[in-house]
Amino acid sequence: MRVSEQWLRDWIDPQRSSAELAARLTMAGLEVDRIEPAAPAFEKVVVGRVVQLQPHPDADRLRVAAVDVGDAEPLQIVCGAPNVAVGMRAPTALIGAVLPGGFKIKPSKLRGVQSQGMLCSAKELGLAESSDGLLPLPADSRPGQDVRELLALDDALLEIELTPNRGDCLGMEGIAREVASIERRDFRPFPVEPVEPAVDAVFPVTLRDPADCPRYIGRVIRGVNPAAETPLWMRERLRRAGLRSLGPLVDVTNYVMLELGQPMHAFDLNRLTGGIEVRRARPEDRLELLNGVVVEPDAETLLIADHAGPLALAGIMGGEISSCTDATRDVFLESAFFAPASIAGRARRYGLQTDSSYRFERGVDAQLQRRAAERATRLLIEMAGGEPGPIIEAVSPEHLPVQPAIRLRPERIRKLLGMDVSAVEVEHILRRLGMVVAVEADGWRVIPPSSRFDITMEADLIEEIARIHGYERVPSNRPLTRLAMSPRPEAQAPLERFTETLVQRGFQEAITYSFIDPAFQKVLDPEREPLALANPISADLAVMRTSLWPGLLKALTHNQKRQQSRMRLFEHGLNFVPTADGLRQEPYLGGVAVGLALPEQWGLAKRPLDFFDLKADVEALLALTGEPEAFTWVAAPHPALHPGQSARIERAGTVVGWLGALHPRVTQILDIEGDAFIFELRLADLQAARTPVFRDLSRFPASRRDIAIVVDETVAAQAVYDCIHQRGGELLRNVYLFDVYRGKGVPEGRKSLALGLILQDFSRNLTDHIVEETVSGILAGLTEQFDATLRV
Amino acid sequence: MEPLPELLLSAQTAIDRAGDLAALDQVRVLYLGKKGALTERLKELGRLPAEQRREAGQAINEAKQALETALAARKAALETAALDARLAGEAIDVTLPGRGQQPGGYHPLSRTLARIEALFARIGFTVAEGPEVEDDFRNFEALNIPPHHPARAMHDTFYFDAHTLLRTHTSPVQIRVLEQQAPPVRIIAPGRVYRCDSDLTHSPMFHQVEGLLVDEAVSFADLKGVLDDFLRHFFERDLAVRFPPLLFSVYRTLRRSRYSVRDLRRRRLPGVQAQRLAGSAGLRHGASSRIRQGRH
Repeated sequence: MRVSEQWLRDWIDPQRSSAELAARLTMAGLEVDRIEPAAPAFEKVVVGRVVQLQPHPDADRLRVAAVDVGDAEPLQIVCGAPNVAVGMRAPTALIGAVLPGGFKIKPSKLRGVQSQGMLCSAKELGLAESSDGLLPLPADSRPGQDVRELLALDDALLEIELTPNRGDCLGMEGIAREVASIERRDFRPFPVEPVEPAVDAVFPVTLRDPADCPRYIGRVIRGVNPAAETPLWMRERLRRAGLRSLGPLVDVTNYVMLELGQPMHAFDLNRLTGGIEVRRARPEDRLELLNGVVVEPDAETLLIADHAGPLALAGIMGGEISSCTDATRDVFLESAFFAPASIAGRARRYGLQTDSSYRFERGVDAQLQRRAAERATRLLIEMAGGEPGPIIEAVSPEHLPVQPAIRLRPERIRKLLGMDVSAVEVEHILRRLGMVVAVEADGWRVIPPSSRFDITMEADLIEEIARIHGYERVPSNRPLTRLAMSPRPEAQAPLERFTETLVQRGFQEAITYSFIDPAFQKVLDPEREPLALANPISADLAVMRTSLWPGLLKALTHNQKRQQSRMRLFEHGLNFVPTADGLRQEPYLGGVAVGLALPEQWGLAKRPLDFFDLKADVEALLALTGEPEAFTWVAAPHPALHPGQSARIERAGTVVGWLGALHPRVTQILDIEGDAFIFELRLADLQAARTPVFRDLSRFPASRRDIAIVVDETVAAQAVYDCIHQRGGELLRNVYLFDVYRGKGVPEGRKSLALGLILQDFSRNLTDHIVEETVSGILAGLTEQFDATLRV
Repeated sequence: MEPLPELLLSAQTAIDRAGDLAALDQVRVLYLGKKGALTERLKELGRLPAEQRREAGQAINEAKQALETALAARKAALETAALDARLAGEAIDVTLPGRGQQPGGYHPLSRTLARIEALFARIGFTVAEGPEVEDDFRNFEALNIPPHHPARAMHDTFYFDAHTLLRTHTSPVQIRVLEQQAPPVRIIAPGRVYRCDSDLTHSPMFHQVEGLLVDEAVSFADLKGVLDDFLRHFFERDLAVRFPPLLFSVYRTLRRSRYSVRDLRRRRLPGVQAQRLAGSAGLRHGASSRIRQGRH
């Protein structure tokens, strides 16, 4: 809602600066978004009267005007405007004037003719986006008068962001009431005197759908002057609210909407047939709207129709066929109440958002229609003459909103606000807001005004009291509450430990969009059909991720194109996986790495990252569960991963995640440079931690035996470990793999594994004999299972 | 045979000239070894007349002691010099950078959220989370934003179908918590939210935090106190805090939620919902306005 401060001050003057007024409105819940001048700065522009007009000797389109600006001699001004005419008054920029944009007026010659100033259009004064001629000023304006003064342009426009519940403030009257309340002044509604009918012309109105339209007021006005003009003051007020002047009939309805908040419509009476019907649309209905669009309204849409067909989308926009024109003499004015639910959403359905629908959606005062009709009638008659008929009212009282009587108790105020507000203050606040307040034994009974249909219960009243009394006056307390601990399960490793581990290991956190490019999805996770947005913001953000990889890899390529060759990124967040049992939204932790294993540095040879570097990072994460041995690494294919460098990570048979080298084909499609390694883990499986259990330390020394065995290439290290652990039994405390060797001394197709075995007993010193026995037991097992030979 | 003083003098000279420990040891052998000069003298004592023996013996022993002291001193000096030389050779440029992995970092949003969570945790708020693909009921209707409500127009919602959407705010978490938990409730709900709007100043995905405090004896004044406290501790400055009722619509619409009113009445806590919802509205605005990604 754009509010002219001048207009507001005409109504109620808070005696404060614009900034103060804006701050107080904001603090009362009407947020003033910005304050703008009603017109850009310009100076030395006065009323000029064209006293004489001659053709320009050397230019067909220019004329030479003599302009009276109140001085003894008229000025000679060259003008190209088509509407310049003798007797016309127009803004005249004098020599030395500065127009918006810093344009200075100097004496000049136009095609050889001296020009001592400039006649101005609205556009040239910054009062309109476009103009097709000079801005005509009222015939009674005095030549020489400052145009800023004449048009009262030194005004500020307050742009107020209204919340949807405050439909009552979509008119100056509502804003004025708020200001009065904030300023603790009594508010008097705008006085509207009924206009006595001059003729008995009526036009029948029928409410076919009284729930949607419980009240419809109409009025016939005959014989308005089609040549009448909207007075300057009204045009200015409309302009400042962002509305164009479209002739007295439309201007009056718009003006009353701005003034009182009641959207209205004017029909050309002679283009109506039979009578008005307010009804839902029927299948055969077609309607050409004022903006030229033809709509076929659906059965949910409320129409204003006559006996010949639809006239208007109720509360949204009028139709072309019944609209007023320059020739209209007889008018039918509409001032109706439409239930918000019958208008809400309809305008958007037709791609329309009008000042009218905006108000009806939020709610219009259901008692306002008659006042608005009387006000519009009076304004129209003053401007364009005409003879009004009587008010026609079609109403269904049982469908009108009920004004509730709400109980209000002081102890509820105290309890809700945490402070006392005196009874006097409570009553003053509510009465200034237009409420009827009756004192009762334990408090009050309050009836809000019909404009405040948003107030329906005690808490609403208390909120109003707080708002007007001032939030700043509510004390700042600390809540008293019962202390209760919240659980912190030991068997649940906090997420921060995992993220911190990655950060310490050189990973940078990323936050990428949850919606991704379907093409990325198809490349990285082709086997799952992602959840698609019905209205994506763009084609490359159209489906919900089933994996963190697409987002991370996109970030990776983005950074690679910005000279970052070594990167380690991680992200945690939900993946969205459609399943037969519905959508699974589960948190995952994923990472990508590319480039050198370590940052380029002195004293270390450059080495590209490999699988085992990232595996160490993942193992560090698994270790945080307290039982890294519970996880198994299984060589398994994944569509996004290199078939020979891809591991599925499992815990007790459940897939926890994947680690691998990005498939070279994927690398190529995604335009990634170098070999990228990626992992992703399901957080629930990762966070399930083992509660530590105390175990004694052995007091006896440990023995180490190193063995080197030769096995086939195909033997997995994990299998060797498993065999050693199984054969080593209790005494085997640890196994280190410290070398993997192929080459001289080892047959083709075989590899040598060097292992350190640590043996220790809890109850005795290990003798050489026992150690030898255990080691040979292990060797026997390895030979049996893998055809291993001892390498000497 | 050389007189003892001369012998001592030449020994001292030899010790001083010994440039390293090996040379020094040679000097020791030369004088104190099995066949050393002083050892020879001791051996010859027996040949002296008995009355001279005692005196001569004493002189030799004194000379021996002097020699041993001189050897030890020289040895210590040589060792010190050797260590000094070694240490000098081992000097490094301590300003060279350290080796190994370099730590990464957190996203600023994570840091901020973690900080907010930590501050609220100190007064007993726990973190509540919920799904991001939400149903229309919990995102709108339970918050009393029925279909076609004008507030929906401000939400620019991403839809999957008529009933499923990406949550436009973290408020559905409140509904989910109240479905599960009886008051008292003290939660904050941080997380990703989505609005179908993207330009220089709007990201279609951003983060919010909102809070919910439900108890029998909490008031709007308590909400103010909590927010005041939070803002001062978050910014670590003594801020002048303003409370314009800007998000009134949420407060209002939330408060009227038939759903939650029923829920709370069933728990026989009449009137609690207003504080609850006041809390939600205020926190949401106070906390989230600082951390919403490019959205105002």
